[in-house]
Amino acid sequence: MNNGLRRYAVWVVVALVGALCWGMLALSRGETINAGWLLFAAIASYAIGYRFYARFIQRRVLETDDSRATPAERLNNGRDFEPMDKRVLFGHHFAAIAGAGPLVGPVLAAQMGFLPGTIWIIVGVILAGAVQDMTTLFFSMRRDGKTLGQMAREEIGPVGGAAALIAVLSIMVILLAVLALVVVLALASSPWGSFSLAMTIPIALLMGVYMRFLRPGRVLEVSVIGVALLILAIFGGGWISESSSYAGAWTFTPNQIVLALIVYGFVASVLPVWLLLAPRDYLSTFMKVGTILLLAVGIAVTLPAMHMPKTTDFAFNGHGPVFAGALFPFVFITIACGALSGFHALIASGTTPKLIQKESQVRVIGYGAMLMESFVAVMAMIAATTLDPGVYFAMNANPVLLGDTVQSAAKAVQGFGFSVDPQTLTNTAKAVGEESIIGRTGGAPTLAVGISKIFSNVLGGAAQAFWYHFAIMFEALFILTTVDAGTRVGRFMIQDLVGNVWRPFARTSWLPANLVASALIVGAWGYFLYAGVNDPLGGINQLFPLFGIANQLLAAVALAVGTTILIKMGKLRYAWVTAVPLAWDAAVTLTASWQKIFSSDPAIGFFAQRAAAVQSIQSGKLNDTLKALKAESIKDAPQILVNTTVDGVLSILFALMIIIVILDAARVWFGLIRGKEPEMSETPWQESHLDSDGNAIEREPVGAR
Amino acid sequence: MKEHLRAIWDYLKEISGENAYDRYLAVHTATHPGKPPMSRGEFYRARQDEKFANPGSRCP
Repeated sequence: MNNGLRRYAVWVVVALVGALCWGMLALSRGETINAGWLLFAAIASYAIGYRFYARFIQRRVLETDDSRATPAERLNNGRDFEPMDKRVLFGHHFAAIAGAGPLVGPVLAAQMGFLPGTIWIIVGVILAGAVQDMTTLFFSMRRDGKTLGQMAREEIGPVGGAAALIAVLSIMVILLAVLALVVVLALASSPWGSFSLAMTIPIALLMGVYMRFLRPGRVLEVSVIGVALLILAIFGGGWISESSSYAGAWTFTPNQIVLALIVYGFVASVLPVWLLLAPRDYLSTFMKVGTILLLAVGIAVTLPAMHMPKTTDFAFNGHGPVFAGALFPFVFITIACGALSGFHALIASGTTPKLIQKESQVRVIGYGAMLMESFVAVMAMIAATTLDPGVYFAMNANPVLLGDTVQSAAKAVQGFGFSVDPQTLTNTAKAVGEESIIGRTGGAPTLAVGISKIFSNVLGGAAQAFWYHFAIMFEALFILTTVDAGTRVGRFMIQDLVGNVWRPFARTSWLPANLVASALIVGAWGYFLYAGVNDPLGGINQLFPLFGIANQLLAAVALAVGTTILIKMGKLRYAWVTAVPLAWDAAVTLTASWQKIFSSDPAIGFFAQRAAAVQSIQSGKLNDTLKALKAESIKDAPQILVNTTVDGVLSILFALMIIIVILDAARVWFGLIRGKEPEMSETPWQESHLDSDGNAIEREPVGAR
Repeated sequence: MKEHLRAIWDYLKEISGENAYDRYLAVHTATHPGKPPMSRGEFYRARQDEKFANPGSRCP
């Protein structure tokens, strides 16, 4: 009794602390507010979500059963199926889901103030994102690690399944283009960044050969060597940028970097994985986890003040200079991975479920790792909002609005309703070792400035330029790793698709098929990348919403599959657990698609922009709409016409996919509710012979079937 | 202190896959007694090829 009372008291305290922190955030009136309130509001909310909601899902909704053998135990082959210690699997799963999305999204969403984005990051993860990850992981585990696409086909039907497959492929293309665009924007005219990133290629080659032939399996050893060389490369970049003879040779225009990335992506997709992809994967995982830990420590130690107001006018008028559109639905589209990410459903089905020891561990691995991911997004939000809002807008606003000089940028920022001294912009650029920080969109440079400020404050204000390039390198490195891996996934998908029609093409080791499929996928994302970099209306503001919509579309597929399976399990009464997030996700995504397609506001609607371009071409001079969007000359109009047509058609395609998947799923639901016999593809129950630590209970050889 | 460092080191070895070969050996001897196991080099090369033959996706 006493014990129960104490436990009860602890949770009351946690709830009170959380409520107090949220209250401080929501009621803040001052110029700045300490990031500590945000940090503790997040932690208290996560703790309550994990303790109560995740437990409810685990016990009541999914009814995990630890006496049931998991596929890892039944099919143990010491390789892809293998019961893995839950702490180790947590690390693997987290490393696989943590990427650039949760870092970039919050930075862009910060234009609406810190509060709207933060609320969605925290509430969204507890009620939607972590639920999606946990349920998908569980359902895939009950089906021996089937992928999301397979589950969509088997549980919903061939139409929903096909829509899911097309969705995944087109999303992959947009994803790779947007991520590569972030890298281009971060490296353009930065000799320091370009040099250090280029050096990661020879470092990876060296590590690859070392791991394959010299000392196979000595992963830690080779990673230490790699990270050391990486740090050297960052110092080397600093030296290059100072040098009068080399700085010019390492300064690239955006289009040169685009070309380099396309060539690189193609070569990386064709080369054997051990040479480039595998070592890069290790390197970027270590850098990623290390930097996230450092950032957490840095924020906890310095507790910086946030300078961005809690909400800005852009949240309501929809005319933000970073991306257009009002709070609903665009903040939810932009935050993407930190709150609800469809991509996680691809990892939660397929790889991770084959390694789980005990069914109940889906809670810590599925739900828990996603809470960590959300926490990364909170830290990104803190890092971005510790900047002076004037500096933030001078870096992130659509470059066509800012002009080329610190004076024009300062003037533009004033137009947005904030103020910044031109000298501050010059000084900030100098402090991080860059020529200029004006219009450095894409989120990565802003985050790097924020991170470098926090890190250098821990060290008493030293070495900001080093930390800035450290942060740029870390983001660019793991974005490029995603580009490598994503290109390869896309290549396999194309080979698989074509293979249905013409068998030999599906053989991944057949060189001609490899080359053709690689060229197709690289060409597809390369096209969007090139179009984004040269978009007369600005690139990231046009493409990022598409990426966000695509990601949320994938989440809709996962949640629709989840709801279907819950109903089949006889859990109709609890189907709201996934159905409510699905309804919300559909509302957000379809509203955003609707606005992107039909909005008459040319800042938002692709077809409104297209109409303006058509009119300009017909009349032979820029019309007022394009002028208001800051298009520079009539020569841009044909390009605007092409870009807006492609983007608009893609928006329609994405919206159609969502509608098809949901309608097809709803057809199945109503059939089941009317009493149709459910067809379940769950693997039958078998008794587990492992205790909760993964040790065999009986003296029977593990894995014998 | 020393124990903590030891625990961290073990965790790193586990999570990086550095001791995957040792665990493979254990499973192999238990399930296929009498059949010679792969060497360390062979094992890691096979594992790497397998893992990346279907790299799956990762979050952006």
